[in-house]
Amino acid sequence: MADLVFESDDTNKHASAMVAPLNIQKSPKRSRSSRLGHSRQSSSRGGQSTTSQSHMSPPLTPRSSKDTLADQPSQPIFHNYLRAFYHFHPSSTVSSSTDESSITVPINQGDVILVHSVHPNGWADGTLLASGARGWLPTNYCEPYDHPTIRTLLNALTNLWDLVRDGENGDLVVFMKQDYIRTLIAGVRFFLEKTDCLTRESPLIVAHVGLRRMRKGLLGDLSSLVKTAKKLQEVLQTKDSPGLVFGRLDELVLKAFKLVTRAVRFLDIWAQDAVSLSFDMGEGNNRPLTPPSDSADLAVQPTAAPNQDGAGSAPANDDVASVSRASAIVTCEPLDHEATQPRNLARLSVAFSIPSDSDALQSPLFPPHAQALGKRLSVTHRLSYTGKSQSTRKHNLASERLNAAHDSFLGFIGSFIGLHLQSRSSEELALTTQESVIACRNLLAVVEEVWERDSRRSEPLQQAREMMYTRLAELVQATKDMFSTFEAGMDDEVIMPDQGKHLVVAATSCVRSAGECVTKARLVIERIGDFEFEIDEQGLSHSVFDQLDHNRPSLDQPQDARLPEVPNQSERVAEIEKPLPPPPMCERKMPPPLVISDSKPLPDVPHSRSGSNQNAGLRPLPNPTAESPVAASFRLSMSPLPQSLAPGAVPQLPQPSASDPSPSPASATQRFFGKSARTDSVNTSVADSSSTCRYSMRGETASIASQTSTRATTPDQSPAKKHSGQTLVSSFGSSSELRSVASEDVEAVEEHLLETTYSHELLYNNNGQISGGSLPALVEQLTLHDSTPDTSFVTAFYLTFRLFTTPVELSQCLISRFDLIGDSQSVGIPVRLRIYNVFKGWLESHWVIESDSSALGIIFSFATGKLRSALPAAGKRLAELTSKATEIRAGALVPRLASSLGKTGVSGSVFIPADNTAPSSNITRSQLNALKAWKDGRSQCSILDFDPLEVARQFTIIESKLFCTIQPEELLASEWMKKGGKGVNVKAMATLSNDLTNLVTDTILHVEDAKRRAIVIKQWVKIATKCVELDNYDSLMAILASLNTTTMLRLKRTWELVSAKTKARFDELKAVTDFSKNYAALRQRLHDHVAACIPFVGMYLTDLTFVDAGNEPTRPLPCDSGAEGLVVINFDKHMKTAKIIGQLQSFQVPYRLTAVPELQEWIESQIQRMHSSKEANPQSFHRQSLLLEPREPPRVIKAAPPPVSNGAANTAVADNRTATEDRFGMLSLSNYFTNNTKDR
Amino acid sequence: MSQREYHIVVLGSGGVGKSCLTAQFVQNVWIESYDPTIEDSYRKAIEVDGRHVILEILDTAGTEQFTAMRELYMKTGQGFLLVFSITSMSSLYELQELREQIRRIKEDDNVPMVLVGNKSDLEDDRAVPRARAFKLSQEWGGVPYYEASARRRANVDEVFVDLCRQIIHKDRDQRERERETRRPQRQRPGDRRNRRNHRPRCTIL
Repeated sequence: MADLVFESDDTNKHASAMVAPLNIQKSPKRSRSSRLGHSRQSSSRGGQSTTSQSHMSPPLTPRSSKDTLADQPSQPIFHNYLRAFYHFHPSSTVSSSTDESSITVPINQGDVILVHSVHPNGWADGTLLASGARGWLPTNYCEPYDHPTIRTLLNALTNLWDLVRDGENGDLVVFMKQDYIRTLIAGVRFFLEKTDCLTRESPLIVAHVGLRRMRKGLLGDLSSLVKTAKKLQEVLQTKDSPGLVFGRLDELVLKAFKLVTRAVRFLDIWAQDAVSLSFDMGEGNNRPLTPPSDSADLAVQPTAAPNQDGAGSAPANDDVASVSRASAIVTCEPLDHEATQPRNLARLSVAFSIPSDSDALQSPLFPPHAQALGKRLSVTHRLSYTGKSQSTRKHNLASERLNAAHDSFLGFIGSFIGLHLQSRSSEELALTTQESVIACRNLLAVVEEVWERDSRRSEPLQQAREMMYTRLAELVQATKDMFSTFEAGMDDEVIMPDQGKHLVVAATSCVRSAGECVTKARLVIERIGDFEFEIDEQGLSHSVFDQLDHNRPSLDQPQDARLPEVPNQSERVAEIEKPLPPPPMCERKMPPPLVISDSKPLPDVPHSRSGSNQNAGLRPLPNPTAESPVAASFRLSMSPLPQSLAPGAVPQLPQPSASDPSPSPASATQRFFGKSARTDSVNTSVADSSSTCRYSMRGETASIASQTSTRATTPDQSPAKKHSGQTLVSSFGSSSELRSVASEDVEAVEEHLLETTYSHELLYNNNGQISGGSLPALVEQLTLHDSTPDTSFVTAFYLTFRLFTTPVELSQCLISRFDLIGDSQSVGIPVRLRIYNVFKGWLESHWVIESDSSALGIIFSFATGKLRSALPAAGKRLAELTSKATEIRAGALVPRLASSLGKTGVSGSVFIPADNTAPSSNITRSQLNALKAWKDGRSQCSILDFDPLEVARQFTIIESKLFCTIQPEELLASEWMKKGGKGVNVKAMATLSNDLTNLVTDTILHVEDAKRRAIVIKQWVKIATKCVELDNYDSLMAILASLNTTTMLRLKRTWELVSAKTKARFDELKAVTDFSKNYAALRQRLHDHVAACIPFVGMYLTDLTFVDAGNEPTRPLPCDSGAEGLVVINFDKHMKTAKIIGQLQSFQVPYRLTAVPELQEWIESQIQRMHSSKEANPQSFHRQSLLLEPREPPRVIKAAPPPVSNGAANTAVADNRTATEDRFGMLSLSNYFTNNTKDR
Repeated sequence: MSQREYHIVVLGSGGVGKSCLTAQFVQNVWIESYDPTIEDSYRKAIEVDGRHVILEILDTAGTEQFTAMRELYMKTGQGFLLVFSITSMSSLYELQELREQIRRIKEDDNVPMVLVGNKSDLEDDRAVPRARAFKLSQEWGGVPYYEASARRRANVDEVFVDLCRQIIHKDRDQRERERETRRPQRQRPGDRRNRRNHRPRCTIL
């Protein structure tokens, strides 16, 4: 899932990077965010800051400048990453990390944390990047961590984490390839690029020793990560013990963590020093922005103070006091530490603090906040955290709800529209209308919830929602109109389709806006994090249900229902409008940022005692007025040790929302002090307190957290170095010109990073396969420097590229990659060789002369120009190939056989000479003589004269020959369906199959005597059985297409004479050819079939047709902002196509059978006879069938033409037709109605 | 009553877009990758008039040239979607033959059937006047006529639902008839038609 990002624009980046550390209390000024008490902090690594650049110490968060802030009301964005700005050690006595990590993780200032979920009480389930430890940590000790430069890298890490988590559940496919690691590499590249440190020669790197070192370390980390990934791949390939795999997975995650941690540190240094350098270099033109921010800060501070004061010292609030007490103890130690870290003291203690409920009640600033809380107390999850893995899936999540509601909405509105397209009873109509409206409401309720949850009140979502309300109202109005214009005297079914027309239009537009709404809602969910849904069904749709109940009785009598319906409808309109939320202007019911303080209080943020001299100097705006009272109250509230808090003595937190039972301070304190180190203790403490389901849920989350943490905390294993060399060699494939092991070093990684990449324009599916991408991205994938491209990918690409690009465009794209990649040893050269290989493979075995010759000129000039100068031998060879390609008339240069495309397993047996092991043919001398006599025109032969096996064999040979000539190009883009298209061999297959079917029918129907007919049937059943044995399913289908049809089966007398044994065989054959369940039986047989085989081609043709029809040619690239993203090639579609064609090709293997030319000649003549026969069509066959065995109970079935003028109803219609011929349209419908009523 | 399963056969000449129609119908809105090779690619559970039914759709798009195979396909169908393209007159004519074949195989004049003019979004290229298609549907005994657009997903579900409804009605009638086997058979067809509420319909979006 995409990381949830700030909306900062890049133009502010520099500005924000240059302002002095700010403490902006932006909230009080704005009513919107006033109660949040949320301030943005400049973050830093306190330990590292050498405050030499005193007034230039830049913040890391991109939004410290006032301008940015003004645009950004504080928001409960779900941040995937947090950064601690205080130490938090649950208990100073606990030192061993294993003991406490299962529940609460200690965090150190500067730690970056990957957040999995955030509980409403402000505790987050997170993993420390520094140590890999996972557990609960207080969010108020942290601030969101995000910066445009590092965002891609962070996203990549999130993805990796999710992949690994899936991997733990057994989904390891993705780790078989290196693609996933590429996103991390791209992240690092992007990071270095944005920080202007991409190349070693960049001025920053040259000028700054620290950065140079950090950069090197970063690349070293990256290289070691890549190494680990390769090791993991190796472990997976050798299918070693799963334990080893998990070990590697752990290592992988830890390496990635290390990498990101390093990048964070890099960014810290860069932000401090590098930017000042760049400022010196004259790039700091954004500087003037700083003063306003400062003044804003000034204005803001005093207002913030009372708030803080109220929270800290409120004497009426025992709980607050107790919390303070608790945290006071907790933070004693950290505070001491901070004393030694002066910069940190500059922080305003309220930063990122989450007001507790009591805050909200106490402070006059936040009065309405509390009411809103009732509904919003739930754990917020990272969307990707909840999205993928089944094990952690919760069906109450907003995203799930949204999908479910939308699905049911579509279902109902679909049938609603459907009803109006047809004349239907008003009863149905009314019911469906109601159902649709309810479904619509449910959907809106979900959307509403999402919207409310999002304190930013997403504008687009609101618009979409408003639009949907309007549309729904229109729809209801339309329904209302329709019912009111009703003529009561008419038949109850007379809701005319055209009346429904604008209703349908309204409904359709409703669907459209619903779609819009859902999309927007999803975006919001992505931003704020997924959350458990606690929709109040009663409150939101109760009234509708009420109304339904009202309507129901009347609906039982549809005639009467119509008029009462009208007021109901209007009521409904009113009803629908009611739940519209107040416009965003007057909203006061906003949830606090990030989390909602619920019950278990967070530890108070350690209030930094400012006044440190250095800081006073550093910061233009120290804020003693704001801080000191707090600190004072803080100290005041420090009282006896929390351990002494007996459950009974625990003061109750006041509950703003009465529904919530009292929380469990016990559990809170327990956690604080790390006393309950095990998972179950969380549950225990939950049980102790008067727990709600929410509590137990938290317990559950906690246990998940701790389970996982055991893996993530596995200590970093020192990597086994010995494997790496081999792995690399194997991953580079055979190309000896590629540098292998050496590329592992930092330099190689560096070069790799320098390459221009389009990998962000690639899409992967759940199996880690490429499912989409722009042409440059796909070409890049084809020519990666460090891994042989996936064979199925290459095959699919060669086969289908003409469907999404042109040969010229492809050549140009390859050449531009050749230009861009350069000629570095570890990256450039290998890539260039692969580019050459792509051209070579194309010319050698995938060249389609008709379409591709347009690119020949380009390729030739490339071969003789750029390629020759870079790689002389390759250039020469390619030039040769191009000149050869012009000579060849058609087809490939190298004879293209099944194995060149698709399956590789087909090789081996394929080219063994046929007479080697071929069974001897079952044909007698007399049969041969008979055939000779037939050939001389002396006598006739019958199918009965020959051995069924031999007939089946010869037919298989004939068919196999044809089948093997089918070229893959024939199967693309429904080519075989087109007149004059390429699919000649496919068409021939169809013709052959038809002729065989007709031959079977003909041989049976031409026999007068029923007994003899039965014998012919028996013979064909035998032949068909032999076809199955020969895996010739195409002939089998053709024979069954005759035997298993009404024309044949209706010959009751004949079938009575067929033996039970033959019938049983016939039933078996029917089972094989059964096409129900999408040819499940046949597919089963063909699955993993390797030997020669003729599958039923029709099935593949249908598959190909549906892949084409059911998949769009392009797919959108998901993007963060929700703006119109890039649309890329839907390569998934082409992969599917290639897979099907590959399957078909894997069967294109000649049979090892001995041909009997005489018999083949006779069979072919019979087929030819059918082909040219005018009688060989279903209609005349049916007639023959009727002649042989006339219909027994002479039921009247009208003769085929003319269909009109038969039967009373038809006559009526026909009569009417003359009257309405020239005024077709809805007008005529009434005539039909009257006619029909008359008939009745 | 257990969930009934009905077999629908989609017919029409090549290139009329019947595969798009079927794909649109069976596809879930959220599916981003459609795989037609899995067992339930062509099965869909729908609700028609409060009944939950499963439709198994046989659409042999791509195998139109295997004409001899057609009868085999038709045999299993309980209801037929006859699809032509409003941009091709010949595609309409070809349906006539298909309908005759169905009637012959089913030995029944009242096989549940819907006539669908696809590609209604290509109004500018229209070659089949609406009246012409509607007339044909009337000649066929008042078969419902729809104009649909698979591309715009217009009338897609509707045609299947209508057909399904016809099958359900027919199914019910058949069972009724089995109950009162004494009544002479010959009266049935016309009788049934009226009860089946087979009125001329024309639906255009």
